[in-house]
Amino acid sequence: MGRWLHALSTATTALFLSLGQAGCAGHESRVQNALAALNEGKPAQAAAHLNEEMKVGSNDELPQLTGDNPLLLLDRGNILLAMDRNKLSARDLGAADKSIDMLDMSRTAVDEIGKYIFSDDSGPYRAPPHEKLLINTINLMNYLALGDLSGAKVEARRLAIMQKYLRDHEETTALIGLGSYLAGFAFEKSGGASEALLYYDDALRYAQYPSLRDPLRTLVRDEPKSPGIKALIGGAGPLPSVAETGEAELLVVVGFGRSPRKVPNRIPIGLALTILANDISPADRAQANALAAKGLVTWVNYPTLTAARGSYTIPTFSLDGAPVRMEQAIDIEAEVRKAWRKVEGTVILSALTRTITRVVAGEVVQGVTQAVDKDSGPLGLLLGLLTSATLTVADTPDTRAWSTLPAQIAISRIRVPAGQHELVLSARNVTKRARLNLRPGGWAFVPMMALR
Amino acid sequence: MPTSNRSFAALIAASLLALPVAGCGPSYVRGSEVEGLDDAAMSTGIDRRDMEQLLHENLKSLMSSPVARQWAADGSRPTLAIYPLANETSEHIDSQLMALLSDVETFMVNSQLVTVVSVERQMQMIAEIEKQHGGGFDRNNIAEYNRQLGSRYYLTGKVFTADERAAGERRVQYFMFMQLIEVATSAVLWQNKAAFTKALIQN
Repeated sequence: MGRWLHALSTATTALFLSLGQAGCAGHESRVQNALAALNEGKPAQAAAHLNEEMKVGSNDELPQLTGDNPLLLLDRGNILLAMDRNKLSARDLGAADKSIDMLDMSRTAVDEIGKYIFSDDSGPYRAPPHEKLLINTINLMNYLALGDLSGAKVEARRLAIMQKYLRDHEETTALIGLGSYLAGFAFEKSGGASEALLYYDDALRYAQYPSLRDPLRTLVRDEPKSPGIKALIGGAGPLPSVAETGEAELLVVVGFGRSPRKVPNRIPIGLALTILANDISPADRAQANALAAKGLVTWVNYPTLTAARGSYTIPTFSLDGAPVRMEQAIDIEAEVRKAWRKVEGTVILSALTRTITRVVAGEVVQGVTQAVDKDSGPLGLLLGLLTSATLTVADTPDTRAWSTLPAQIAISRIRVPAGQHELVLSARNVTKRARLNLRPGGWAFVPMMALR
Repeated sequence: MPTSNRSFAALIAASLLALPVAGCGPSYVRGSEVEGLDDAAMSTGIDRRDMEQLLHENLKSLMSSPVARQWAADGSRPTLAIYPLANETSEHIDSQLMALLSDVETFMVNSQLVTVVSVERQMQMIAEIEKQHGGGFDRNNIAEYNRQLGSRYYLTGKVFTADERAAGERRVQYFMFMQLIEVATSAVLWQNKAAFTKALIQN
């Protein structure tokens, strides 16, 4: 009896230890209610759900920047931007920016990334480069919406630091395009034409922005400094500035839909072995096959991406009742998928390796009970299965990500006569109306986030 | 119950009771309560102490410049306006830079060399002008502000950074550049650049 108790206590200890290591439910469950509220078009309710998760009473409060709170703060910041609470949104994104480090995407770090993304969701969140770049890009929208050019330029500089870091590591992403466009706008409107041109030129490396053609004709004054700018202007002559013509300029940015998010996924071990045929070591493969043959290991848990929401929606923009053309600024969904494809194999491999390790631990438990009591065969097997099954089920792949990133961002920039204007933006059943009063030579920036 | 078991039970109970107390989390402190709190850098960001150090270095340079020596010699006490230092860093420090203006004002008033236009009144006037134009403080309008203030000289500058990142490490160099400009001629009568470096180094 004593030996049975000893075996039971060994298994129980292993079980509790494993549960402790496996941790709580994944991040996706923490944002579930907020995302459901966004699906229903209720951003205020979504922010309230996040406040509950961060244990703060209202949007005015900053949570303690520990655990995953900075990540939830990014989500709240995006939602506050959708609610036109730009000052609070800028504060949230700024605080999160300082608390979130960037995942090192260098080639030598790929294995670590796999381990990190799969199994380290108890550690501080490290954002992939596209998220880190988008913090500054989206915060640029906040500062521009507030008319705070100094704040916008600070975000532009922060963005430039990240861009340089990525270039130094031979990484690139089309997401740089929009950030550089907005940074150029901030410098142009502050009177920094040369800095603006550098940023605009950088934006054109990643995408053709027809809406930049006229502003560049004004800035370069018939002397295009780079092939990208020259190609866009296409021989058209210089254009007088809005200050000279007495007009004003309007820049509109619409983010809509939501990027794919990470959820835990379970695949049969056989399928995992097939996917990883070229990556897994012969020893791990043999062990996995042996365990699969015993029927002990059947599933592997790992994070995967869901479908995006609203990828194919076309946003509309009308000014004083007349439709205005919008162009695609960035396809965030594509960039998120591209970044994920880079590491997905390593992530599954890490998941498989961990599963094997855990099932081996289960077999050890079974071996212990058998050694303690030769008659404990069924109990040993039961405890071993219990241990491995619990470990497998309780495994929580790291599903942390910025869950409220829009899937797409569209942009429009036009010259308008100075004076009063009525603006209507619409995407995914979200409509924003604004009344603007623009002075001659002035400008306005109107952002909209339809995160449904 | 044997004594050892009772002691064990008491120990467990004490540990459980102690848990909520131990888990109180962070607490706020005053600089006077923690030795060296004002000295330790909390991040690579620029803080009040850094800015005061840069400002002090620049104002010391101004006081030893030929123009300040001339003011001292002729005792003319010309009118001086002080403008916000432009934020060209990668940190949101505009409000801290505005707060720094009071330090500059105090220093220049105490120097007895110039008549300082009240920074508060000056900012109210600027806000009024910019309100008419529909915007905030615009450095491009400094000439117009000076005309309205009747100042003979103005003091301005900017804070900027050079920021570098390498795997896990970060170095930020901060510079505070200040200038004294004669309103009538736009001649730069004095300028100085103070600098320091902050870094995050992995041990």
